[in-house]
Amino acid sequence: MSLPMLSILLLISFAGALALILWPGVPCPETSKRFSLVTLAAQLLWSCALLIPFDGHLAGMQLQEQASWLGSLGLDYRLGLDGLALSLVLINGILSLVAAAVSSTGTPRPRLYFALLLIISAAVNGAFLAENTLLFFLFYELELIPLWLLIAIWGGRNRAYAATKFLIFTAVSGVLILVAFLGLALASGDLDFSILPDQARQLGLGTQLALMAALVVGFGIKIPLFPFHSWLPDAHTEASTPISVLLAGVLLKLGTYGLLRFCLGLFPDAWALMSPYLAGWAAVSVLFGSLAAIAQTDMKRMVAYSSVGHMGYVLLATAAATPVSLLGALFQMIAHGLISGLMFLLVGVVYSATGTRDLTVLRGLMNPQRGLPLTGSLMVLAVMASAGIPGMAGFVAEFMIFRGSLLTFPLATLLSMVGSGLTAVYFLLLVNRVFFGRLAVTPVRPDSPTHNVLLPAVPLIHQLPAMALALVVFVVGLWPQGLADLAVGSTTALSTLPQQMALAGRPGEAAG
Amino acid sequence: MPDVLLLSVRFAWLIPLYGFAGVLLSLPWAAGWIRRHGPRPAAYLNLLVTLLAFVHGSISLVWIWEHGTYALDLVWLDAAGLRLDWSFVLSPFNLGALELVTGLSFLGQVYALGYMDKEWSLARFFALIGFFEGAMSGVVLSSSLFMSYFLLEMLTLSTYLLVGFWYAQPLVVTAARDAFLTKRVGDVLLLMGIVSISAWAGSMTFTDLYVWVANHDLGPLASTLVPLALIAGPAGKCAQFPMHLWLDEAMEGPNPASILRNSVVVTCGAIVLLKVMPIVTISPVAISVLQVIGSISALGGSLVALAQVDIKRALSYTTTAYLGLVFILISLRLPSLALLLLLAHALSKALLAMSSGSVIAITNSQDITELGGLARCTPATTTAYIVGAAGMTGLLPLGCFWCFGLSIDVLLRDAPLLAAVFLLTNALTVWNLVRKFRHVFLGEPRAKARRAPEVNWLMALPMVALTVLVLVTPFLMQRLDPVPGITAVSTAGLALVLASGGLAFLVGSLQPLQEAMSRSIHRPLRVVQDLLAFDFYTDHLYRISIVALVAWLARSADWLDRRIVNGAVNGFGRLSMATAEGLKLSVSGASQTYVLTLVVAVVLLAFLNFAVGGTP
Repeated sequence: MSLPMLSILLLISFAGALALILWPGVPCPETSKRFSLVTLAAQLLWSCALLIPFDGHLAGMQLQEQASWLGSLGLDYRLGLDGLALSLVLINGILSLVAAAVSSTGTPRPRLYFALLLIISAAVNGAFLAENTLLFFLFYELELIPLWLLIAIWGGRNRAYAATKFLIFTAVSGVLILVAFLGLALASGDLDFSILPDQARQLGLGTQLALMAALVVGFGIKIPLFPFHSWLPDAHTEASTPISVLLAGVLLKLGTYGLLRFCLGLFPDAWALMSPYLAGWAAVSVLFGSLAAIAQTDMKRMVAYSSVGHMGYVLLATAAATPVSLLGALFQMIAHGLISGLMFLLVGVVYSATGTRDLTVLRGLMNPQRGLPLTGSLMVLAVMASAGIPGMAGFVAEFMIFRGSLLTFPLATLLSMVGSGLTAVYFLLLVNRVFFGRLAVTPVRPDSPTHNVLLPAVPLIHQLPAMALALVVFVVGLWPQGLADLAVGSTTALSTLPQQMALAGRPGEAAG
Repeated sequence: MPDVLLLSVRFAWLIPLYGFAGVLLSLPWAAGWIRRHGPRPAAYLNLLVTLLAFVHGSISLVWIWEHGTYALDLVWLDAAGLRLDWSFVLSPFNLGALELVTGLSFLGQVYALGYMDKEWSLARFFALIGFFEGAMSGVVLSSSLFMSYFLLEMLTLSTYLLVGFWYAQPLVVTAARDAFLTKRVGDVLLLMGIVSISAWAGSMTFTDLYVWVANHDLGPLASTLVPLALIAGPAGKCAQFPMHLWLDEAMEGPNPASILRNSVVVTCGAIVLLKVMPIVTISPVAISVLQVIGSISALGGSLVALAQVDIKRALSYTTTAYLGLVFILISLRLPSLALLLLLAHALSKALLAMSSGSVIAITNSQDITELGGLARCTPATTTAYIVGAAGMTGLLPLGCFWCFGLSIDVLLRDAPLLAAVFLLTNALTVWNLVRKFRHVFLGEPRAKARRAPEVNWLMALPMVALTVLVLVTPFLMQRLDPVPGITAVSTAGLALVLASGGLAFLVGSLQPLQEAMSRSIHRPLRVVQDLLAFDFYTDHLYRISIVALVAWLARSADWLDRRIVNGAVNGFGRLSMATAEGLKLSVSGASQTYVLTLVVAVVLLAFLNFAVGGTP
């Protein structure tokens, strides 16, 4: 395969962004949107095209591309694709397209907006494909600035606070990750930033632990895990709908991806040592996220806290690091991306129709004539998917995670399952309050009759992205074999990393 | 012809899909994309697919009856050493249960056409019923624990949606929520058990699990907790104490769905428990728990039913009670008796639910103290009630009479105390049904019953059909294979059943029935009445225990988040801003100070360098 398929994938959106910025004259908003839609559709198509040469049952990187860039720094342009990366590239393709499709053309400065959207999508792809830790870091940081701008410029009322908080948290996360990567190279003495598990083995366990701790906290901020999560609810509440979709669906996955690829992949020994504590942390994060979600009164905040809980499962699965649990972790990333993306879309519809997301105010939006019945039905579906009802993506993911982690960490797994039960509690609260009951969008008072609310009907075409996402949720839930076939090679390889290296012999010992 | 039979068996995996196909077929009408001819076509399509499922099941049954059991395995997921199958077993028992499910579903749907005649969202209702039916058909045919769980969860979801059908009413909203959450608690516990079993045993098919459990090496804790987890799921589904509250509240849903919920849905839960019986009974603790919750549900349910004035609620509590009896039979490893009771109960309960629904339809009232004298003008409804009541109790030689007789025979020998539970439940149920009958059908017609006509034929037809079915239940039971034969019952057992039923019949017939008596002014009696009418205040107990606990934990988490976590973050931000503001003041603007600072710093650095002794 001589065609640089991965570079082309990155090029599509980067070139698209560049073209949009350099567009002669001032393109009208519709042109900008249409152009970015075409670009992102091309990117999604190309991502799907990657499925053709790809073989999911192979363990290593495929379709590798390499070019030396700054050799003296150890920064090579190396891209590679495995099942983990491909699944995430696909979901990035889907959600980026969805985000662009639901973006309003009425926003100020549409050209900049859509260009930033394209840059984020390409940068995230780059991070998933990078096979050099420095390159990963570059893409990781590259995605940060556009997102900060997207929140700071197009955000809600309190956007300055949220954007700054997001920037500081994620910058700290980036610094920690960079420190870990540099530290690994410097301590092991060779400036090789390829992702090699052998490299860390030459170091003492103390150094490994310190470096891994920096990585775990760095990615833990991004995921986010309790107690590093406090940027997420604020960022979500202030971000516009498409940005929330991207943030929850794709950007958080950078953190969980890093957990699997770098924390587990670079430091398998230290990871195994720390895994009981990590599993405990996961259970705390799950329970905290779920309980805090129950207490929220803003729909977006509730979904944000549920993300904290649901991302905790990924930590649990990665801590257990069995073949089944890691496959489950990947499924959970995909499932959460789809489901939380869907939820943010629907919350966005509710917000634009009623002007509020307040759970204490909204009532009965399911009303067939004057409410938002289709949005409500899709929300019921999304909620059930998130609560782990079989037939939808969430259940397969949770089942595999719990099944894979139970024997390793029984207590943490059982506690996380309680969190899965709590998911039903808060999302049922949401559906029951917002969509069931008698229609009302303002606080019910005896003097203000609420029966004459008439919400604008949402055209079917605007619901299309949400319906498409719901469809994918069903496809993954009913036919998990497809996704499993893509990813099983890489997740199994990750889970057996210690054994593989034991077989290969420890380089440090061999030398001595 | 045999080819057709074999083909139907090979494609038996289609049977659950018929119901789900019904959902998809109704979608255009349910979503309002097609409005031209009203929502009826969706209903007809659903009836058609239900009929198809019934016929397919019957054809397969013919083949199975001749050639014996047939197993079907379809791989659903096989990755990373985890293999999950869609496993079906076509046995006479499974197919019989399927016929019960699809048959009752068909009758219920015809009934619904009449009952919900002017319902605006008829298509949505039928879509949900299709979903319901598909999940139930899958549960009864399934031969794997994983698949059973998969479908039971779908049943939970469809119950939620069906109970919440009229979602604009506040009571419906809480009822749907409680139904979902109660079942979900049971389901999460069940999932814990299933995940553990899957991790330990590997395979999830029941036959493999029976082999595994016969020589398992679980520790004492695990071998107690796993069976308890397996009980929790069915206990939620079958509305057993302490997870019984939802069934009563679920009566806020449309009545045709209540017919199915009280008969076949609870049966599905019990069938799953039957299938895991060999695993559950490895633990003596689990057996005792089954007997305790079964007895509490049976007696408590019967007593509470006695104090209800709502025609549907008085019925729903007897469901809890009868499923409690089934739990007791399962705990004693009496699967065939449990099945017989399930069958007899499902048929007669469905008939009673139809009859109650008819009463509601023609009088627009659910309060039995407001009714009366309906027997004059409603032959089909009255007959249905009498036959249903007779089929459900041990008074006339219909279904449950024989079940009770056989059970008493065994229980008198093994567990006399539990025999007393059976007899008491029978007596209390007879009393309750007679009381209800007198309120609704006898006496002077009250305001709401004066002009009530008999129901329309769409409701009458399924009701009459089911009446006939209940009447022939004993013959059906006689023909079923795994049953010892109902004639094996001893006269002593039958005499006891008859005595308990007859006594209660007398009490029920002679009890004074004034409206004032429904809540007495005598304080002791009123306290008892209230205690029973409000279900021993169980919902209140929930509210001050588990609900309060979760709410408190949620508030604490929120407080922790706001004050500690976010407070620390914001405090850190404020601190850096304050530091910056403070340092800003140190900038004087006088260049001499800057030069002085620089010089001092250089001198200090140089000094440090020498003092440490390093080379510059």
